[in-house]
Amino acid sequence: MTQWKTTLRRSALGALGLLASLGLAAGAAQAKTADGKYKIYLSLSYSGNAWQSEAANIVKALAKTPPYDTMVDLEEVISGTDPQAQISAYESMIAAGADGVVSFPISATALNRTIHRGCQQGVLFFMYDATVTEPCAYNVSYITSGFGENSAQALVNAMGGKGKIFLSRGVPGNSVDKRHTDGAMSIFDKYPNIEVVAEYYSYWDDRTTQQETAKALAAHPDVDGIWAQAGEYGAIQALFDAGDRLVPMTGENSNGFRLALANPDYQARGLKGVSSGSPPAQSGYAFKLMMEILTGKRQLEPQSIQYPLPWVPADEVTLCKGDRIENGCNAFPEDKVPSSFVTEVFNPDLLPELSLASALDGKQTEGATIQPLPTEVTKAPPEPGINCQKCEPPADHFALTKIKPAM
Amino acid sequence: MATGTGNREPQSFERRADERGSGGFSSETVTTLAIFGLCVLLLLASRFISPAFGSLSHLQTILILSSFLIVAGFGQGMVIMTGGLDLSIASIITLGGVACTTLGHMGSLMAIPLALVICAGVGLVSGFGVAKLRIPPFIMTMAMGVIVYSACLGYTKGSPWGSAPEAAITLMKSDLLGLPLAVYFVVAFALFGWFLQKRTSFGRRVQAVGSNARAAQLAGVRAARVTMLVYAASAASAGLVGVMLAGYADGATLRMGESYLLTSIAAVVIGGSSILGGAGTFLGTVGGAILLTTLGTIIQSLGVDEGWRTIIEGMIIVIALLLLRDQLYTKIRMMTSALPGR
Repeated sequence: MTQWKTTLRRSALGALGLLASLGLAAGAAQAKTADGKYKIYLSLSYSGNAWQSEAANIVKALAKTPPYDTMVDLEEVISGTDPQAQISAYESMIAAGADGVVSFPISATALNRTIHRGCQQGVLFFMYDATVTEPCAYNVSYITSGFGENSAQALVNAMGGKGKIFLSRGVPGNSVDKRHTDGAMSIFDKYPNIEVVAEYYSYWDDRTTQQETAKALAAHPDVDGIWAQAGEYGAIQALFDAGDRLVPMTGENSNGFRLALANPDYQARGLKGVSSGSPPAQSGYAFKLMMEILTGKRQLEPQSIQYPLPWVPADEVTLCKGDRIENGCNAFPEDKVPSSFVTEVFNPDLLPELSLASALDGKQTEGATIQPLPTEVTKAPPEPGINCQKCEPPADHFALTKIKPAM
Repeated sequence: MATGTGNREPQSFERRADERGSGGFSSETVTTLAIFGLCVLLLLASRFISPAFGSLSHLQTILILSSFLIVAGFGQGMVIMTGGLDLSIASIITLGGVACTTLGHMGSLMAIPLALVICAGVGLVSGFGVAKLRIPPFIMTMAMGVIVYSACLGYTKGSPWGSAPEAAITLMKSDLLGLPLAVYFVVAFALFGWFLQKRTSFGRRVQAVGSNARAAQLAGVRAARVTMLVYAASAASAGLVGVMLAGYADGATLRMGESYLLTSIAAVVIGGSSILGGAGTFLGTVGGAILLTTLGTIIQSLGVDEGWRTIIEGMIIVIALLLLRDQLYTKIRMMTSALPGR
């Protein structure tokens, strides 16, 4: 009896869904809210670190910038680290008649079926930073741009091609962590005198990185270099805790790390390296691309788009004097932002509308209007498990783009 | 007068435990000594892995890293002693860190006590829910943890701001007579915790409530009040961990407490406390915390895959638990008495 009821309910739901999808498909690429605005969802998997909130704030700031302020109805949904929760969040967005979903996906594969269903109903899916392998979604990400191999080569160069190193990795089993580390190892393996003496997972978190690095330093106080993913500011702190000696290290884009790289006192104590890695600005680029497609200004088939790799060696760290992008500045004075603030929030070519208040509080910049994006987009190479399911990486996988081997 | 009765009762329990041993050591003492012995063994063995292990600087690293777990384990241990479980400490650690960095501009003398009071207040609410509203501790503290974490997330909008109060940085980063200040702090805190638990009537009452809440109540212990105070103390110590972590990393992050929830429970249980309440000693927890941290530093440098590392860590914890159980003492006695000639 109950089974029969369930079946009935299911078929009724199915019929409703079918009707809804027919209706939605007919109305695709048109504004769907009653007041004629585009219904856009910002779907985060989790919030709780500086990177995530900056990326979300950038989208919010752009949605408030004219003319988007009168065109976009933006709603933020945070679903947590459970893929199931993000699946059901996507389901609700599709059901609510979303025009577009700009999202940080928690899994490269778990969301595929839902995204596919959404695409069939005319919803645009734009993923930033993290990616999905579903071919009907757009990925906007730096992941394929070679953070691992380039930063590894920079470290090798800074160390003179020999010495003991630590690898401070991300989250175990994560495809992005694997891509970065594989890229880095492709370089380290070429140098027989480079020895990886400790390899640990720091969960892209400053404090975890600090404690794990402190443990590694206890075993290997004579380390000669550190290759770190996000959380690198913690690695520097651990070096400070251990004594006066600093060593070459590479890491991602925290303000604290950039300021340390540029500090002449630290340089004298042995710190050199490069700041690179994941930029929160990707979210803004994804959102603007999506809006250009929705408003008919751009024709673009679903594809994976590569965001340029930020690359700031110590001698190129430039402090921003005000709250806007000037003279290619790429770090902020200590009193303006926390050390964990991820500096890559601006992009003069792609996102000239933004100011520091955009990244910190999601505020639009006074007097700014949305500027058109450059026509060309950079297509990302296939990366198995990251932006495609059954595919081969290109022949020049892990080729260096930012730096040349010094030895 | 009534409190006096509650005070005496658990002592007599302990005396009986003492009398079982011919040498006058209680099983608790044996467990505690065994844990510290195991730590020393691990340290000696670790020299085979890296020559830098077992050195003074290695010991300092271990003590500083364990200090967080020891303080968290103090609160968790008290709650476990009453037969409860505090699942909110991860969030309250974050609250402590966020509160003291947000209030940091008021100066250490204001910011740190205020942060601790806020945390203790949250703990008092949990305690009220457990003791008066009869909500199971597991559920009450889990709910409180979610609420507190979300409040931190909402308030900081994802990225906590500000730097740690000066005193917290001094505590975690400066040296005194050639040793880090944090090392003195760990020793002082361990003695304080031990004293509170074993030499004050409050400590006795906590144990009485954990052994048998109803019996304690009949004996005149105000069980509800003790329980509420225990949860407040647990939250205050979690808050202190937050302050210490903020000093250590010079700033707060929202994830800073995450790794201390399960490890604090593990440290308490490895330290010989009964997960059902009523038995345990803080010095055992201190040993458990140091053991877990030592293990962490050694396993990290084993040079095996992350999967294997976690498997080895899990296995050693299980073996340690089996070895250090209450019965260890009885077993040793049985073995020695079975020897010929006795």
